[in-house]
Amino acid sequence: MAITSIKNLKEFSTNNDRFEGAHLLCPGCAHSMIVRELMNCTDDNLVISSNTGCLEVSTAVYPYTSWDTSWIHIGFENAATAVTGAEAMYKARKRKGTLKDPDAPVKFVAFGGDGSTYDIGFQWLSGAMERGHDFTYICLDNENYANTGGQRSSATPVGATTSTAQAGTHSYGKKEKKKDIVSIMAAHGSPYVAQLAPNKWKIMAKGFQKALETEGPCFINTVSACTTEWKFDPKDTIHITDLATDSLMFPIYEIIDGHELNILYRPKNVLKVEDYLGAQGRYRHLFKPENKHVIEQIQKDIDKNWELLQRREEVRI
Amino acid sequence: MSITGSVPGTDKRGIRELGGEEKVGWDEVTQGVAINSFIGETENAAFLKPEERSYSDFNSYTATVASWRIIKPVYNRDICIDCQNCWVWCPDTSIISRDKQMLGIDYDHCKGCGVCVEVCPTNPKSLLMFNEAADNDEELAGWPEKQKKEKK
Repeated sequence: MAITSIKNLKEFSTNNDRFEGAHLLCPGCAHSMIVRELMNCTDDNLVISSNTGCLEVSTAVYPYTSWDTSWIHIGFENAATAVTGAEAMYKARKRKGTLKDPDAPVKFVAFGGDGSTYDIGFQWLSGAMERGHDFTYICLDNENYANTGGQRSSATPVGATTSTAQAGTHSYGKKEKKKDIVSIMAAHGSPYVAQLAPNKWKIMAKGFQKALETEGPCFINTVSACTTEWKFDPKDTIHITDLATDSLMFPIYEIIDGHELNILYRPKNVLKVEDYLGAQGRYRHLFKPENKHVIEQIQKDIDKNWELLQRREEVRI
Repeated sequence: MSITGSVPGTDKRGIRELGGEEKVGWDEVTQGVAINSFIGETENAAFLKPEERSYSDFNSYTATVASWRIIKPVYNRDICIDCQNCWVWCPDTSIISRDKQMLGIDYDHCKGCGVCVEVCPTNPKSLLMFNEAADNDEELAGWPEKQKKEKK
């Protein structure tokens, strides 16, 4: 596989972008940062498929496409199925010798939002993981159905207000906890599962390269700050992601072969979760006196999760 | 359902369906379509710089979102240290960077989000946001001075 150098940013920047501008994602959207980084990580041919979501509707507005690689979209749920179908076809044609250029390296990648990964496409993704195709699934987790107006998804964290779980006099927003998709995917026995963030570009690029290199179904959950639904200024995308990783709301770690957990980033100064929550409009109601207990609960959950991750890293289970 | 491979440049189906030349009914719209990013034989674009590629009219590179912008980044070559922070975090592929050097901003594709200014590490910043109507040369002449560190 032709890995591109990620030794430093200058070397990384010599790559030629294969994701074109003038797509219609919001200004400051982290989706395109993540997609660009993935496509710059490798020189190989890429076969990409997308679930319906912000990324799909904004990068393929007929008659335009922003993709300089093979790209397909079919339905809301089946990016994983579509790309594994292409992979099975590729293998079969390679075996029969009907490929035009059999030695050209090809990588198969699927992109999905959190709605199509955690909820709607979950069964399809689980099936593709179980069949053991050689592909990488990347979830762009912005914690709501941002494409359709910010409805709650099972990735929405406790306390966030969304258009279908609104905060008001009787409610503090979503009451249910976020699904732990990384552990679920690791439980499929996947050879490489990770949670990464775009502000740590080098860790993310390393993770992407590892996933593309690894044979078998790999899953990566990436944090994608949503300027529209998280309600912050577009220029602060990287700052908000910094807060998310430094407050351990989104710990960055990988799980190899379902049991070998490595924490990839340990913040020097762990921030209080208030810093992360206070920077976004969707958590503003939590700072009212009657909702103080929710913030305390969120902080407790984060501490518990971080403790658990550290223990898992020690004992390798 | 018809899936049609199209000949870029000659195919006007997109324009017609969008209501330009001749309108089509709801049941006449093409249901599935394959569009080509490049004219002719497609190579792996990873080995071609944007200026070496033969973009088709279907590629969004040929479109522009400049009208989205109300503020624009202005680039000062004299202060830049070519760290490429702006390149790696630009969501719109609008930082033109060749051979480890930052060359400027692609104003056709920039939406004016301001991420590049936030991640710029120099003092004073080598990228700053100005009003869309401002003149680049005038702003470069009046670039702010280096700021002293106040704390520590």
